[in-house]
Amino acid sequence: MPERLPANLRWGAALLGLLLAAALAAPWISADPARLELDQRLRPPSASHWLGTDALGRDMAARVVHGGRVSLGVGLLAAAFALVIGLPLGALAGYRRGLWDAAVTRLTEAVLCFPVLLLVLALLGLGPSWLHGISDVSRIAIVIGLTGWIPLARYLRGEFIKLGGSAMVLAARASGAGPWRVAVRHVLPSALAPVLVTAAFTVGAAIGLEAALSFLGLGVPPPVPTWGGLLADAREHIERGWWLAAFPGAALFVTVLACNLVGEGLRDLLDPRRGRP
Amino acid sequence: MLTLFFVTLVVCCLIRLAPGEPLGAGPEEEIGMRVSAAARAELRALYHLDQPPHRQYGLWLSDLLRGDLGRSFHDRRPVAERIGERLGVTVALNVLSLLLALAVALPLGLLAALRPGSTFDRLAGGASYLLYAVPVFWAGLLLQIVCYGRLDWLPLAGLRSPESEYLGPAGRFLDLAAHFVLPVLCLSYGSLAYLSRFVRATLIENAAGESWRAARARGLSLASVLVRHGLRQAGVPLLTLASLLLPGLVGGSVIVETVFAIPGLGRLFVESAFQRDMPVLLGLTLLSGAATLLGILLADLAYAVVDPRVRRA
Amino acid sequence: MRDSWRAGSLIAALLLQALAACGAERESPGATSPVTVRALLSQDPPSLSLLGKPDHNSEIVATQITDSLVQYDDRLELLPRVAESYEFSDGGRTLVFRLRPGVRWHDGRPVTAADVIFSVEQARDPAVENRTFAPQFADLVSLETPDERTIRARYSRPARGALEAWRLPLLPRHLAQRGAELLTGSYARHPVGCGPFRFVRYRPGEEIVLEANDDYWDGRPHIDRLVFVIYPDQRTAFQALRARDLDIMVASPDLWHEARLSAAATRPESFVYYRLNLWQIGWNMDGSNPFFADARVRRALLLALDRGQFIERIAHGLGRPGVTSFHPDLVWTDATIEPLPYDPGQAGRLLELAGWSPAARGVRERAGRRFRFRLMIGDSSQGIVDEMAAWLQQSWARVGIEVEIEKLEWRQFRERRLAHEFEATMAGLSFTPNPDQFELYHSSARDAGFNYGGLRDPEVDRLLESGRAADDPVARRQIYFGLQQRLHELQPIACLIHFATPVLHDPRLRGVVPSPIDHWRTTRGPREWRWVEDLAGG
Repeated sequence: MPERLPANLRWGAALLGLLLAAALAAPWISADPARLELDQRLRPPSASHWLGTDALGRDMAARVVHGGRVSLGVGLLAAAFALVIGLPLGALAGYRRGLWDAAVTRLTEAVLCFPVLLLVLALLGLGPSWLHGISDVSRIAIVIGLTGWIPLARYLRGEFIKLGGSAMVLAARASGAGPWRVAVRHVLPSALAPVLVTAAFTVGAAIGLEAALSFLGLGVPPPVPTWGGLLADAREHIERGWWLAAFPGAALFVTVLACNLVGEGLRDLLDPRRGRP
Repeated sequence: MLTLFFVTLVVCCLIRLAPGEPLGAGPEEEIGMRVSAAARAELRALYHLDQPPHRQYGLWLSDLLRGDLGRSFHDRRPVAERIGERLGVTVALNVLSLLLALAVALPLGLLAALRPGSTFDRLAGGASYLLYAVPVFWAGLLLQIVCYGRLDWLPLAGLRSPESEYLGPAGRFLDLAAHFVLPVLCLSYGSLAYLSRFVRATLIENAAGESWRAARARGLSLASVLVRHGLRQAGVPLLTLASLLLPGLVGGSVIVETVFAIPGLGRLFVESAFQRDMPVLLGLTLLSGAATLLGILLADLAYAVVDPRVRRA
Repeated sequence: MRDSWRAGSLIAALLLQALAACGAERESPGATSPVTVRALLSQDPPSLSLLGKPDHNSEIVATQITDSLVQYDDRLELLPRVAESYEFSDGGRTLVFRLRPGVRWHDGRPVTAADVIFSVEQARDPAVENRTFAPQFADLVSLETPDERTIRARYSRPARGALEAWRLPLLPRHLAQRGAELLTGSYARHPVGCGPFRFVRYRPGEEIVLEANDDYWDGRPHIDRLVFVIYPDQRTAFQALRARDLDIMVASPDLWHEARLSAAATRPESFVYYRLNLWQIGWNMDGSNPFFADARVRRALLLALDRGQFIERIAHGLGRPGVTSFHPDLVWTDATIEPLPYDPGQAGRLLELAGWSPAARGVRERAGRRFRFRLMIGDSSQGIVDEMAAWLQQSWARVGIEVEIEKLEWRQFRERRLAHEFEATMAGLSFTPNPDQFELYHSSARDAGFNYGGLRDPEVDRLLESGRAADDPVARRQIYFGLQQRLHELQPIACLIHFATPVLHDPRLRGVVPSPIDHWRTTRGPREWRWVEDLAGG
């Protein structure tokens, strides 16, 4: 283990930590995002409203910060689901091969063939009423997790196949180590590396899907703000308020950046072969 | 193949379980618009809604085996016709955007991997994340405002200009091409960003690998090693990932199609889901499933061809 | 190597030229090309068969392609069109039409009584799924044609409103198929009518092209072509309008406001009018919830809303507070009834009287139950719906009521509403000019009609029934006035706001006449539109 953590991991983790802290602390540090002030509509950033107001006079700073709770929640939850489902399945398929591989491959094919949008619509609106008990956030996260695990699993499977026959592993097996121990200690770290990068993108993808749903009118109902919803609203007023899109957009960008820095940083950390060629 | 039928069966049940029927008006409801109970019963029978889901599915399946995809509930036109008239456009859009994404992602990732940590690498990375974070409906609008509103270089939306009927075949082709530029750009930039980072990651990882060190030890420059070995090694997982983007063929382009008023399968899919148009949805699922399986097959083939170790395994 | 460079640059040059040409041709067409008006359609119509599965979009197209026996003018008077005259007799149970001579289908054949009978038969066939006209012929007993130009319709009971049904689009018997085949056959791909415009082509998802009918009996339209362009996204359409690629569209209040702020060079012409629709909240009064069975509570909830401010600030003034579900512009409406004012103090008092007192965290309570309910909304592409929801939440929070918004996909929304599984719903409602709102309020209409909230008031029932039976228009008017007074007391549905319809169009397009139904389907529709190149002139 290197003495200093890789630079991008440090930066990424710091950014992500800051975002998470802001999101968690939202109710205490910001104004009420649902508060309408009809005579303060579409005001540019000022002393009283740091990030301006939206079309209903709501404070943008509050909406962006509270929006982070939902959007970050969706993103991280979705990535977590995807990892939890995808990693074991991919590892099993790639390492054990045989029946496991066949089963997992069939499963991935079935899920891939399934129209994602239909799944989204089904879970969001068409489901039984008990499903409405689960918050909208979780539902979107579940959907993305249920479909987003496939690239992770497939990639991990490929890596396990490749590395399973490598010299390092053969040597470890020859020295008497059990198959699982070999898998975890030798194969997993290097196989995991690019997977983490993919997982980081899953966070961005989840938030993006939420934005798309808001655009189509299926997003989280009011008054809960989400970055995707804010961006969809901003489209209506594009000529009268640059701040309506700029700040949620910037928040989204910073999140994607942070997650990817963390992903790449973790990869740099875990990959024993890292370093310049 | 079994997978496909399983998936279509699930879709059928899902639609039937969903509240709401294909009958009944859309969001507009006018006082005075009422169907009598008898008429309603007749319509339900016409649409096989009085049968349980598996029976309805069975009917669909038997029609399918005779080559008939059935008729849409929405406008009673044959499903094959409704899908067929949009298929070409959607395929063209998706294939072009995939090609564009690959064409840009490969060199970009390559150049970034050449000098990891350099300014270029950081800039490319930052640009990729920025691109990835911009939602498609925003990018579309911005492109429209700039390329159409301000600069007047490209058409706004749709597939052809009104004057195109007065142009000759060459003119019409160019007109169509012009209409494709912005939608293809919008469809591709997200996967472009993602793929370029992926290429970079794979190349850097492989750079420390055994075959590379051996090649370098033989005196080859980093660049040529990257191109010869790296491309090949990166190419395969890249293809795999690209093939995973294929399922987006049916549903993924709906936002682009909405913003650019393109009559494609994405919009058809969303509209049919809202209208509970079972035959069309089943037809689309079949199509997207077939395309997905084809993509996976191609990717696996490519994998086996390029990587001998997989062939052995 | 050099050859391919040259080839490449040649292609590039051609491309640029072609693109430049595409751009240049967007200026006004020359004297030889046809005068074309491009209008926005938000979605493909479900069927072009003119009668099958109609929705608003398909009716807009249908009324251009074909005519009907009678049609509204812009003041909603029914004028005889293909019918030269009509006459009621036998106490209103018989209606006789005389057809106008010289009305022809687009293929030249004359329109006969047989065509009219055919059209009615198709409209009443369940397989054609005509929800608009089929119910209106429910009381029709028989149709006869004593000769080629006369139609005699007999009804089971007298109803003056029967005339409205004869706005039915007419179909040619010799070309259109019957029943289910009407929707699937060749006619639906190429409809032929007797109207001011003839069908040219339909490109699904793109456009519907119509051209002027030179032989139209009432005079050729002034424009040469009418093209319906299908853009699902309003903002895309707006950009096209500003660049003169689109000539007329219905906009949202925000786009209308933005249009008016544009620079004079690109500013579209705009006007605003009121259609027969209303945004309302339906309360579930059947006792499944403890809130809305009490008329005081329903009244209080409306008193707590500052609708004037919402209309002014959010809708840019494009609306009027609703009073009852009788549209302000109709002759049946009692104009003396005032909309409920904004009076949160009175709202609070009424709530107290009903037993709801302020409690912890500012939310009212009664017998331990908090005043917290779910407002169900159908998802819609109109941004204003979300804004209204947020405004409602805040307004009611101020009087101590907590509201949760439940946004459902449209068909699911309808299912839940039909099954009465809701506490309150918010939706738009469209009307025909017919004052008979039986289906909205009669106690029998809870399951078969639109009375989702389950209103059961004997006086309302009585007024509705006598309104239906009344012959004398003066007496009828009095009955409906009484009905409105009673409804205003009871507030079974909260008539929130009548939103105005903003229309944006190219300044060179003249003669667009609005009416309470829309600016398309009257006798003063696109047939009277004109395109004026020289703006300095008239």
